[in-house]
Amino acid sequence: MDRRRAVLALLVAVAAGLGSLALTLTSSHAEPRGPVQSGGPVMGLVIGWSFAGAGVVASVLRPSNRFGLLLYATGLAWFLSALMAAERPTLFTLGLLTAPWWLGVFVHALLAFPGGRLEGRWRRLLVAVLYVDVTVVQVLRLLFTRSGDLPGCGDCPDNVLLLSDQPDVAATILVVQQAVIGSLVIGGTLVLLTRQWLDASVPQRRVLSPVLLTGAMCLVVQAVALAAEPFSVRQSVDWLGALAFAAVPVAFLLGLLRQRLDRSAVGQLVVDLGASRDGFGLDDLLRKALRDPSLQVAFWRGETGEFVDAAGRPVALPVPDGQQAVTLVERDGRRIAALVHDESLADDPALVSGAVAAAGLALENERLHAAVRAQLEDLRASRRRLVEAGDRERRRLERNLHDGAQQRLLAVSMLLSQLERAPGGDATTRELAAQAQAELGRSLSELRDLAVGLHPAALTDYGLAVALHGLAARAPVRVELVVEMPRRPPLQVEVAAYYVISEALANVVKHAAATRASVRVCDDGSILQVDVVDDGVGGVHAQGGSGLQGLRDRLAALDGRLVVTSPPGKGTTVRAMIPCA
Amino acid sequence: MRVAIADDAVLLREGISRLLGDAGLDVVATFGDADALLAGLETTPVDVCVLDIKMPPTFTDEGLRAAVAIRAQWPQVGVLVLSQYVELGLAIRLLAEGAEGLGYLLKDRVADVEEFVDAVRRVSEGGSALDPTVVSQLLSRRQTDDELGRLTPREQVVLESMAQGLSNPAIAHRLHVSVRAVEKHVTNIFDKLDLPVASDSDRRVLAVLRYLRG
Repeated sequence: MDRRRAVLALLVAVAAGLGSLALTLTSSHAEPRGPVQSGGPVMGLVIGWSFAGAGVVASVLRPSNRFGLLLYATGLAWFLSALMAAERPTLFTLGLLTAPWWLGVFVHALLAFPGGRLEGRWRRLLVAVLYVDVTVVQVLRLLFTRSGDLPGCGDCPDNVLLLSDQPDVAATILVVQQAVIGSLVIGGTLVLLTRQWLDASVPQRRVLSPVLLTGAMCLVVQAVALAAEPFSVRQSVDWLGALAFAAVPVAFLLGLLRQRLDRSAVGQLVVDLGASRDGFGLDDLLRKALRDPSLQVAFWRGETGEFVDAAGRPVALPVPDGQQAVTLVERDGRRIAALVHDESLADDPALVSGAVAAAGLALENERLHAAVRAQLEDLRASRRRLVEAGDRERRRLERNLHDGAQQRLLAVSMLLSQLERAPGGDATTRELAAQAQAELGRSLSELRDLAVGLHPAALTDYGLAVALHGLAARAPVRVELVVEMPRRPPLQVEVAAYYVISEALANVVKHAAATRASVRVCDDGSILQVDVVDDGVGGVHAQGGSGLQGLRDRLAALDGRLVVTSPPGKGTTVRAMIPCA
Repeated sequence: MRVAIADDAVLLREGISRLLGDAGLDVVATFGDADALLAGLETTPVDVCVLDIKMPPTFTDEGLRAAVAIRAQWPQVGVLVLSQYVELGLAIRLLAEGAEGLGYLLKDRVADVEEFVDAVRRVSEGGSALDPTVVSQLLSRRQTDDELGRLTPREQVVLESMAQGLSNPAIAHRLHVSVRAVEKHVTNIFDKLDLPVASDSDRRVLAVLRYLRG
């Protein structure tokens, strides 16, 4: 609503209010007022104006939200019912006709809060039934009711709609009308409001609570008033109802005020961002500023066209489902991030865009951090793939050797041994066959060493513990082996541990001039720790040679670490830690 | 002597079969995998099984598990496990329950017909056969040991042969000495290493292995 129309609407409300007050004060007859309406002329004015005023304010703040319009309509309908005070029968009858309209619009507004739309079948049905009840049924009732028969209306003007005076029919229609209002509409509305409250998220409840509470209280009072017969009880209940009713628009203004407070939280956000370093806890600050504990920040990664979290891991944005909504953040025309937040924040885009503008630089900064982390993760994954591809290829070569050349050479060896022992062969043939077989035996032995060097098959077949026995036994120094592994870790962890120990033992032999070494492998369920300790000369450079660097790469691909401690003259300790959860 | 052979490689299966047949053993059945072997043993009684440690379907330790199953169901049947490579750790696992009627040899050994046939016979008669590679790995673990250093070179060779599962006469034959001489060496070894005296050869193997494993 623009300013001109807002002023116009306010003027209309002021005029309607003053008109209704004038009618009421100058009226010469009593009015058949219902419950809630009997708070007196001034109270009536306050109620009507507060609804209309709150409606205009809401429409200005949220032009796209029809809730403000409904509040305004409630206020006008409220004033309309004052026509019952008019002296002219046509105006008086119009007042009778429109007397219950305000209730229809009010319940409509209550059920449409805060979005301004009736969500769901039940709400639409309920409001439709109520509108029929306060319009069509009201007309029907007036067709058969003489105005003098209305409660407290002995000297009222004539009801121009009167068709035929039938008090019995009129009483029956009244019972139906009140039953619909009492049980169906009020009861149903209370149920729906309770459910709405229970389903609401924390930020939604902040907005809902004042309006739903006062609205529901108002309906309860209305229900009690319908049921209460004794006049004295009824009068006090009516006053209570009028108070509760007057409180509804106040409650709504309170909700608006809360959002004003939220806006000041954006100012606080600017201060907090200045105090925090490197966008640390950025999402926490945004959660605080927007009062939405469920808020999450996702950063745009342009090169892959996906959103990532602060750690650089890809995240999927949720599909808007009435619970969560997504606000895209742009800076200088480029997308930099997305806020995943509670649906209720979408009602106040100005608040979100204010917070986003305040956090823009920090978001951009954090996005760059996230992008770097994502690239690191990519790099690590590619290193892992390289190591795995290398291992796979070595394993394939080893298997080919085993299944092919080794088997065939062995078969040839057996044939030679048969030739050597064949009856009737001459001495030279036997001698040559024996030589060939011995030669073949050495080839087989070398081939086997080559295969083990390519890939220790025992490792794949039987696990680290079995493979290490052989490794320790083959080492030319005495190796004490302790293996504490309750289970087999993943193969690539076993392979890495094996190569660490193999390389460390080779170094012990080559450089350490050690007499003994100890190997300890311990799996505590999350980390596989390998220690290779020797009693040699020490003094190994912490970075080590190319062999150690290769091990570091292999371990880094598994998020593992290699630490070499080698004080001169005090032996060397190689420790590897590999996550294996 | 009735022999069953299980190996998925036809070339080797037939080769071993012919080789043992030529040596006068009775090869009654050959199989392509462990399950077929176990099923076959139900109907075909044998004295000894020669089987590859890697067989279908996973080519890891089917032979090993078949060996354990055979020893549980037919304790009198000897089992000789052949492998493309021998691993000390696996030998330790295989012999954990006892070395009686059990052998673990590198596949290459089949080409040395006399030794191989001897190993098959030994295993079928309840003896054992442990590949020299495994034994030398065990010995190398203890090479800096003072106790082993007290053995004479000849005694060390006898110890190695004992660990491989050879009987005294077999050791005597291999070393071209008299059985009496071997017995003397054995007594000396047991004294020097402070081992409990064991008469039958498979207990002796275990005692020696246990000692060598430290």
